[in-house]
Amino acid sequence: MASRTQIPTKNAALIAMIADEDTVTGFLLAGVGNVDVRRKTNYLIVDSKTTVKMIEDTFKEFTAKEDIAIVLISQYVANMIRFLVDSYSKPVPAILEIPSKDHPYDPARDSVLSRVKYLFSTESVARR
Amino acid sequence: MEEQEVNQSCENGRRNGEAEQEEDSALQFLDSIDSYLCLMDSLSSTLREGWLELASARHSMGISRITNVLLDLKPHSAATTIKVSSHVFESSSTEDPMVRQPHITLSKWSSFKDGKGCFGEAVAGEEEFKNKSQNPQLRHRNPSQFPEFQEAHTSSEGASLSADDEAKKERTKSLSVFGTLVSPKLRAAQHSFESVLEILVEIANKRSLLVWDALGMEDDGVPWWVLGW
Repeated sequence: MASRTQIPTKNAALIAMIADEDTVTGFLLAGVGNVDVRRKTNYLIVDSKTTVKMIEDTFKEFTAKEDIAIVLISQYVANMIRFLVDSYSKPVPAILEIPSKDHPYDPARDSVLSRVKYLFSTESVARR
Repeated sequence: MEEQEVNQSCENGRRNGEAEQEEDSALQFLDSIDSYLCLMDSLSSTLREGWLELASARHSMGISRITNVLLDLKPHSAATTIKVSSHVFESSSTEDPMVRQPHITLSKWSSFKDGKGCFGEAVAGEEEFKNKSQNPQLRHRNPSQFPEFQEAHTSSEGASLSADDEAKKERTKSLSVFGTLVSPKLRAAQHSFESVLEILVEIANKRSLLVWDALGMEDDGVPWWVLGW
């Protein structure tokens, strides 16, 4: 009963990235960069000029694409579109929040750990 | 009276068994959380290494040589990709006894150009290829007696060397975006980010196991949040 949704099998699926320049550059060095024939990339470099709307649109685009299996997003960027990230519930592509250079990893904001916290909360225990 | 006592002791035994099972599930769940947190720590430290190496490379090569302006926007496929498959787990549920969970495998420096197929598939990482190529060859007292074996061995060794060559080529191609002669720090950064990818794949798989373990602790069916990772 772990997954009622279909889990599509994919070979050679992509890793998409929404992060700062250094993080994206590093992952591109590791060979995950992809540019299709329409010159669309599988990454978005977030800087001071990037708007929240651009991040939202890119997130929606990446999570709707069938050839993407993982979306890496810096935690501080995910916080800008927190509602959208938290309301996402498909198994694939998986959303992984990663720390960034200037914003260390905050376990309190991790979606899995916050759900675990709920599981062990007094509310949840009282309901059982 | 005796029958009642027997029934009561059976009931107590059953409750004890269930309590033990719940405790086991809770322990397993806490172990999963602990390993998830360790993986996140490892991710943070490896990412920090990568950023530091990138900053050192930028310092030695010059700021203008490592910028996003130089990134290749010509159509090209990713050399490192992901394979998603579903693993089947047994469940105690009568509705759906066989549960499917997604499982991710990393495929590093694989090439799908010109129908060559996958060369660099590696779950554990580059070390597997290094081990294959460094393993001592079998000694044959009289190699001429086993020509087919020798041919097969040579061809498998050839295949692993070819995979190594292909991985090397793809790595060099990735680095060449920033120029022909690059700082060793940039190569080190590349290696760090490759390690980061491996950790991320482990984290992704661990998250799905966390969901599975959490299910073992839920009494009232599937909570809405376990449908995601």
